Amino acid sequence: MSDAMHAAIAGAQPSQRAEKNPDAPLFEGVYKERFDSILTRYPNKRAALLPVLHMAQEIRGWISPETMTRVAELLELTPAYVRSVASFYTMFALRPVGRYLIQVCVGIGCDLCGAEEVTERFLELTKTRIGETSDDGKYTVVEVECLGACAFPTVVQVNDQVYENVKAEEVESLLKELD
Amino acid sequence: MDSESKLINLTIDGTEVSVPEGTTILKAAERLGIVIPRYCWHPGLSAPAQCRMCLVEVEGWPKPQPACVQQVQDGMVVNTDCVEARKARRGVIEFLLLNHPLDCPICDAAGQCMLQDYAHETGQLRRRAVEAKVVLGRDHVTPEIVYFADRCILCTRCVRFMDEIAQEPVLQVINRGHKGYIDTMTDELFEHPFSMNIVDVCPVGALVNEDFLFKARSWDLDQTASICPGCSQGCNVALGTKENRVVRLKPRFNPEVNSYWMCDHGRREVVRWGAGMRAEVPLVREAERLVPADWARALDATVEALRGVEGGAKAIVDPGASNESLYIVRRLMDQVGFDGGSFRVSSGPQQVLKGFPKLALREDRAANASGAEALGYGRVDDIYGAVRSHRGVLFVLEEGLDDAPEDFADGSALFVYIGSVLSPAARKADIVLPSPSFAEMDGTFTNFEGRVQRFTQGLRPPGLARPIWMSGSVVLARLGGGEPFTSAAAAFAALAEEFTAFSGLSYEKIGLTGAVSAAAESGATAS
Repeated sequence: MSDAMHAAIAGAQPSQRAEKNPDAPLFEGVYKERFDSILTRYPNKRAALLPVLHMAQEIRGWISPETMTRVAELLELTPAYVRSVASFYTMFALRPVGRYLIQVCVGIGCDLCGAEEVTERFLELTKTRIGETSDDGKYTVVEVECLGACAFPTVVQVNDQVYENVKAEEVESLLKELD
Repeated sequence: MDSESKLINLTIDGTEVSVPEGTTILKAAERLGIVIPRYCWHPGLSAPAQCRMCLVEVEGWPKPQPACVQQVQDGMVVNTDCVEARKARRGVIEFLLLNHPLDCPICDAAGQCMLQDYAHETGQLRRRAVEAKVVLGRDHVTPEIVYFADRCILCTRCVRFMDEIAQEPVLQVINRGHKGYIDTMTDELFEHPFSMNIVDVCPVGALVNEDFLFKARSWDLDQTASICPGCSQGCNVALGTKENRVVRLKPRFNPEVNSYWMCDHGRREVVRWGAGMRAEVPLVREAERLVPADWARALDATVEALRGVEGGAKAIVDPGASNESLYIVRRLMDQVGFDGGSFRVSSGPQQVLKGFPKLALREDRAANASGAEALGYGRVDDIYGAVRSHRGVLFVLEEGLDDAPEDFADGSALFVYIGSVLSPAARKADIVLPSPSFAEMDGTFTNFEGRVQRFTQGLRPPGLARPIWMSGSVVLARLGGGEPFTSAAAAFAALAEEFTAFSGLSYEKIGLTGAVSAAAESGATAS
């Protein structure tokens, strides 16, 4: 897998090409090159924590305690500090998530235009509750704050794909489209 | 502080004050006796200015300023209690109380809680929020410390203590906002020899010591200035006592010895001490049996027995005994011919507090080994060997004698036991003089660097137990003339006359933070 991204945005693209293998080796091969180039962007290793965590999530699908400990080692931080940062940001999954992470916007615009019904429909069809992963390991549905597309409610983001103007009755076909 | 540094003139709450350049508003206000409310700021830690409780108004500035980090400027006019400052504080308090369980009636910190204080002072009477509170629960962070996440205001004092002072940054804030709490990396507990300081720095009831949990209300405790007897560091402490028991120890600020901190070992030692049987009444041997006696009879018997006794005097003392007690025993020995006194010190690994390296849990786990040495007692490994073939008088002061050999003291003409607990070996004594523990009397300890520090009486001694500087001085007066001592201060004054390690010192000079004698100081610089 080649990596043509400019160093300035490398690692800022979360799970686009996620391998999502929880046991995948961290930062080897092409990821090692990206890891090194991330480090060159900052005056110290601590500052590289966020992009490195993003990359770790891209590789493994979620940030496990083992991942945090490994990242702490590489960046010369304490594991507790890494956990503190990783838990601060909701974009890091601290538990395994399904192959499709369905993020429904519940910001004020979407909320007024039926985000609640859309969420309900997703939960119904995937047979899960908020934050849980379906039995087949395919879906996790979460509510997120504003996704920045308020003109097109309800906004739904599946992994890195954004869907606009999603209505409750369209949810079923959206899910089919994913497979 | 650099005496050359520029002075800044400013006005705080209508009063002018001059402080050196670089002083914060909070510190400058303290000079005027104005205490600006604060949570995250602690004098022993860095100031992250994150709790926003210390916001004050600076006239002409667009926004309120955090007093804990904002440095003073010439001509600044600061108002700490104006409408704007109170409004800012009220807002902070309202947010802090949003998810607070308000469980003061069962909270250990009630009565010493800064959240209670400031909510009472500036908070509003009623809650405006109608939403349900977020409940996070509680958990242990160390085997002895419980963390109540719902009470936590996330001031991060404990996080910064572990980071800056313990220099083992195991604690962090996990999650954020109303879901935030303090935790380690894993669910496992952490252990650190100075961990209980995080309970002391906690401004609310979030971190509490399980040893003290639900034992007492803070306002029921009497506070007594004392010295921790756990090791030769001699941390300045306040004993919290209730119903004639020490229920907790808190460090007492002393920049020369322990700053704001103390170790866990000392706290455990004192609180768990004294559960066993105490010697409460003088005992005198009559026809092979130890018979309870009043002090008049016990002292008569002691004087009688010491008169005309031969073979000199040896002693085994405990290095946890006070200088005054050790001194009187020394004088009693001198009366019949001093033939050497010895003590042993239990030891453990030294644990230095990295962020304040003056403070360590010392190898010598006894408060007064230096004092015993200064008063002519010798440190030995085998205290029993030193007195094995002794035929004269044997004094034992406070040493427990738990592992004494069968034939201990069998050959001595007279065995006087002065102590607070009676082991089987101590029961072989001819005369037992019951004495109080350090918490039950006044006295001094000499710490590892020769600093003499006073501890004061916080508890009533049990039964008829009296300090040996008192009872022993009566015996001395009757044997050799002079007046008995009426106070520990008088005993110390006599001691300071006689021993150079204490010369020039008095209770007044030592005060409650200790002093080093001129002789000891010049000796230290010479060596």
